[in-house]
Amino acid sequence: MVNALTPEAAERAAATPRSARPAVGARGRTRHRQAVVAYLFLAPALLFFAVFLILPLGFALVLSMSHWAGFRLGDIDPVGPDNFTGLFADGSTFLAPILTNTLLFALGTVALALAGSVIVATCIDRLRYQGLWRTLYFLPIVTTVVAVGNVWKYMYEPGGLVNGVLNAAGLGSVAFLQDPGTALPSVVVVQAWASAGSAILVLTAGLKSVPESYYEAAALDGAGPVTVFWRITLPLLRPSLLFVCVTQFLTGLQSFALIIVMTQGGPGDATNVAALEMYRQAFSYGDWGTASAAAFVLFVVVLLVTLVQLWIFRRKGEDA
Amino acid sequence: MRPAHPGSRRARGLSRRHFALALPSALLASGCAAPHRGTGRPGDPVVLTLLSHYASGELKRALQGPVDEWNATHDRVKVRTKAVEFTDLLTTFMVRQAAGQGADILHPYCLWNGQLVRAGVLRPAPPEHAEEIRRGYSPAAVGAASVGGRVYGYPTETQTYALYYNKRLLREAGLDGPPRTWRELEETAYRTARRDRYGNTLVQGFGLSTVDDSTTVGQTLALLSAAGGRFVSADGRSTAIDAPAGRAVFDLEHRLVAAGASDPGVNVYQAFPSGQVTMVISAGWWTGSLKPLMGRDYRDVGVAPVPLPDADGRRATLSTGFMLGVNTASEHPREAWEFLRWLNAGKVRVPGAGKGGSVTRMSALQVSVGSLTGRADDMRTLLGKGGAVGKGGAGGDPNLRPFLDALAYAVPEPNVPGAQQAKTLLRKNIEALWTGQQSAGEALRTIRRQVDQEVSRSW
Repeated sequence: MVNALTPEAAERAAATPRSARPAVGARGRTRHRQAVVAYLFLAPALLFFAVFLILPLGFALVLSMSHWAGFRLGDIDPVGPDNFTGLFADGSTFLAPILTNTLLFALGTVALALAGSVIVATCIDRLRYQGLWRTLYFLPIVTTVVAVGNVWKYMYEPGGLVNGVLNAAGLGSVAFLQDPGTALPSVVVVQAWASAGSAILVLTAGLKSVPESYYEAAALDGAGPVTVFWRITLPLLRPSLLFVCVTQFLTGLQSFALIIVMTQGGPGDATNVAALEMYRQAFSYGDWGTASAAAFVLFVVVLLVTLVQLWIFRRKGEDA
Repeated sequence: MRPAHPGSRRARGLSRRHFALALPSALLASGCAAPHRGTGRPGDPVVLTLLSHYASGELKRALQGPVDEWNATHDRVKVRTKAVEFTDLLTTFMVRQAAGQGADILHPYCLWNGQLVRAGVLRPAPPEHAEEIRRGYSPAAVGAASVGGRVYGYPTETQTYALYYNKRLLREAGLDGPPRTWRELEETAYRTARRDRYGNTLVQGFGLSTVDDSTTVGQTLALLSAAGGRFVSADGRSTAIDAPAGRAVFDLEHRLVAAGASDPGVNVYQAFPSGQVTMVISAGWWTGSLKPLMGRDYRDVGVAPVPLPDADGRRATLSTGFMLGVNTASEHPREAWEFLRWLNAGKVRVPGAGKGGSVTRMSALQVSVGSLTGRADDMRTLLGKGGAVGKGGAGGDPNLRPFLDALAYAVPEPNVPGAQQAKTLLRKNIEALWTGQQSAGEALRTIRRQVDQEVSRSW
């Protein structure tokens, strides 16, 4: 407590005659001036957040309880909670299949990407030229979604690479993106493949932080590779896993670019997700009220999912 | 180090401070400045902005030609074109309008007209222009440019739907010509479809597109029109597809998919040029794309009117289009309509079109890029015997004739408020039908419930 007055000093200050008060006033003015300067320095950052975060958030909240076609600000018409009730009304497709698809898409992506990246990161950790392998696996991250989506779309097509392999194995063709039963899993695989690179990068860094002595002790005790993985590697990777899990889930819940390229949400609503529906409601249908209400529902879902993830990991002794 | 002169330091400090203050101020001022619309001084020309999707290639050049001609011959009113890709057009309208920077002249897809009128973006055409439009264009084009019976702009490109077929595949199947009825269409489709032993489609008898809303819905609505049905009721307040005509179209498509004659999983717009689709319903613009894509094989492509349920039925098909309208926020509506009349109604002589061969600048522009306008007389002049206007001799292509003939009997695409969403809902349910998620009856009932809810919203 460097800045706190000692008891003696406090007594002296209390006993200071009236003539010394101007010094206190001067100190107050200095502090005030310092505070002003501090806020001036903070002003650009605060302005940035106000313009790009608080203002849009407030505007979206107003729109979520209004009807607005997106053209004239003067035409915003307050309607109360109508947009929210409309989303969950009988016959609405927002809850099922759209929100369900969103959760399945995010969950599937996280599960696949996490499992795949743990295996790949563990393998890379034992290989030479680790930088090269990390770079190779990171390449999908720096490739545009449009390119990734289109390449996979061609691979999935009836005469594409994947069906070619199936046919070569004597199996019949599968309409991966045209069959409502296989369309969502097919897109999940691509999203997981495309997002595994960043997870691998984080997990390989996490693996480097596991002390070598643990593995040596386990080897002395005669532990096999599976035991070492389950008892040492995986538990000590938990902080990295938490980070990857939370960030991938957030990305999965909000992403729609890959879906718009590969299936446009179809066939029917088989791959339609909340972010794509929001985009369509706002920019195609001019229904900004419904789009904003859907955005707030998605926000609540994202918040709840993140809190649950943090709670689960905290129970196991990890902190975000 | 020699200390700087106090005066000079002060001077340098001041200039930096001035610069630091002046730069953000200048950026702010330039960012907030109103778009250039002329100086506003008496005697200076009025500058009109025209926002379209003619953003690149020959479309951009085709529009810029008449605009340059106008600017060269008119001192009082100048026109400046702005263009974005079609996929960004509606969004750009919204953002610019909300920001108070909407263009004076807009070039919307007619499907959006109800939405734009409801939002107060489009200005109704003045009576003399509305009269001119009603008189000069086909009913389908006028209908597409109208909302609630009021005309909102000059129709530009007009697309009608017809049946494309591959003559070689028909010959190989022992067929003389394209089908004229649905029964013939089915028989032709079943006879020409082929698959390999793994179930991969080698040839589709009748192509069903899932490429986007327009192609998926367009072919179904063309068949619906041919069956005498409508998607949306005349007052635009409810759907009319859940009727015998709609049921007949859905049953036909379902039979074709179930029998393997159609494979919605295959991209028709890639498969047809490769000779892997016998028949497909599409709009006239496609001829312009097929010609360079197919080269010599284009001679195998034929176009016929959309087949009818019965041979003695009345012809009908779908028509879609764009129009040029004036923004309600425009400060110079009179000048904007004046320019639009010059571009869309003023006639110019066409070289090689024979005596009296004069057409509007817009008609010449559209035909030069392989498209049509709703002015049947212009199209006959341009596409007739002497009319070889445009690249690749678009005028000499007999495949354009069925699209031109269809101008007389085509039904405009519904453009009520909520039309875009209704179209997307229709596409989703059509896909659900094709993929077996819904029966024809379920799909029609779902469409009726969803679309009714959407188009009946009064706001």
